[in-house]
Amino acid sequence: MVSPSESRRAVVIEDDPDIRGLLVRVLAKQGFDVTHAGAGLPGVEEVRLRKPDLVTLDLNLPDLDGLEVCKLLREFSDAFIVMLTARADELDKLTGLDNGADEYISKPFSPRELQSRINALFRRRPSAAAESAARGELERATEVQQSLLPKEDIRMDGYDVAGIFRPSRNVGGDFYDWYQTPEGLHLTFADAMGKGMGAALIAATVRAVMRSTGQRQDLDAGFASASKAIATDLDSSNSFVTLFHARLDASSGKVSYVDAGHGLALHVQPVGPAARLPSGGPPVGAWPGTQWPHAELELAPGDTLVVVSDGVLDVFASVEDFTDAVRAATQSAGSAHEASNAILALAPADTAEDDVTVVVVRRLPAEDAAA
Amino acid sequence: MEFSYEVKDSYAEVKADGRLNMVSAPKLREFVTDVIAGGSNRIVVNLENTAFMDSSGLGALIGCLKAARQAGGDLRIAAVQPQVNMVLKLTSMDKVLTAYTTAEEAFGND
Repeated sequence: MVSPSESRRAVVIEDDPDIRGLLVRVLAKQGFDVTHAGAGLPGVEEVRLRKPDLVTLDLNLPDLDGLEVCKLLREFSDAFIVMLTARADELDKLTGLDNGADEYISKPFSPRELQSRINALFRRRPSAAAESAARGELERATEVQQSLLPKEDIRMDGYDVAGIFRPSRNVGGDFYDWYQTPEGLHLTFADAMGKGMGAALIAATVRAVMRSTGQRQDLDAGFASASKAIATDLDSSNSFVTLFHARLDASSGKVSYVDAGHGLALHVQPVGPAARLPSGGPPVGAWPGTQWPHAELELAPGDTLVVVSDGVLDVFASVEDFTDAVRAATQSAGSAHEASNAILALAPADTAEDDVTVVVVRRLPAEDAAA
Repeated sequence: MEFSYEVKDSYAEVKADGRLNMVSAPKLREFVTDVIAGGSNRIVVNLENTAFMDSSGLGALIGCLKAARQAGGDLRIAAVQPQVNMVLKLTSMDKVLTAYTTAEEAFGND
């Protein structure tokens, strides 16, 4: 992904070819992608076309007055406008007027002066163009992330299943996915390293690969081939993903799972302390040659499997405190939905910097299941 | 986050002070890459003053370890603080990134 600072664009509107050439060179050296125009109207068109972050505008142009051009530009552009004038005596008058320009420089100017004034402008606030580009990316990343969540609820006899996801301001790489199988349920819970579009796209890949492994009968073989495919994709981006993948056999309550670097799944019984399921190896993509053994647990009637993202962990001083708080929230909740909401509430929305994701799979107590 | 390094007898010690997160992680990568390019392939990252590390920070440490190994050396971490230790344990990365009590001990026996 190209960062906004790498794709900054500038338009130079200047009729003097020598000064125009100098401006283009100075701005290009500052990392701008520069185009130019020799008069006011062509300049306005260029700005409309290029949507630059910065415009340098000569006050005395052959066709239009620079102030007129500035007014026209302000109708559609939020670019920084630096006005150049050969008449030093005009400067005081100009700066006192609200004519839409951000900065005034008198000719002759030194390249260094121009550079430092422009840097100061961009330091003061990110240009509107860069801001809207960043906002646009964040919005798209949010869309990608939302699209990964399962669209259907799980309705499975004897079980109550709920999932909840709260995105943070900086879109992260969390997601969960589930689908029913003839035997019961497949569940995937993942967190891709980093934030923003990069993390969201990795998450999308992981979801697709994990869905395709569901076709395989054997969990170990399925996970081995999925992790290999994911690691190949991740290798080029120097990233990794923590992954918890579980298969539930509904009639027996047996859960077979693989935990690659997640470590935040809990087995909660109706009373007593919760058992945290330790991860079976590093995250996928973190270290070459890793193999992840699967493990098993049995959900007895009344037991709950809870998987939580590290966005909740961040609120607690230790993993032990976290485990106990999730246990308490789970045991006192009347339903999976209630439990997931209570766990989400452990990480207050106004302080949580990361996404928060919770999945709760509760095997109903025998009397409820029969009812 | 601030970085510094010092070349010792048998290794180079990199100090990373502050929060190792998405902002500082690429800078650590860059810093350690430069230290390796400067001729040191045995690196100790002293995390004494690293109070916090997120997944991007962990990614940077893994990247640095790979770079040191590729250069024929190794990277070890020292003076790991509780939150960083928790992240390493949860992700099982404590088995890959070896932690030592002090920077001196990291390459003490080889």
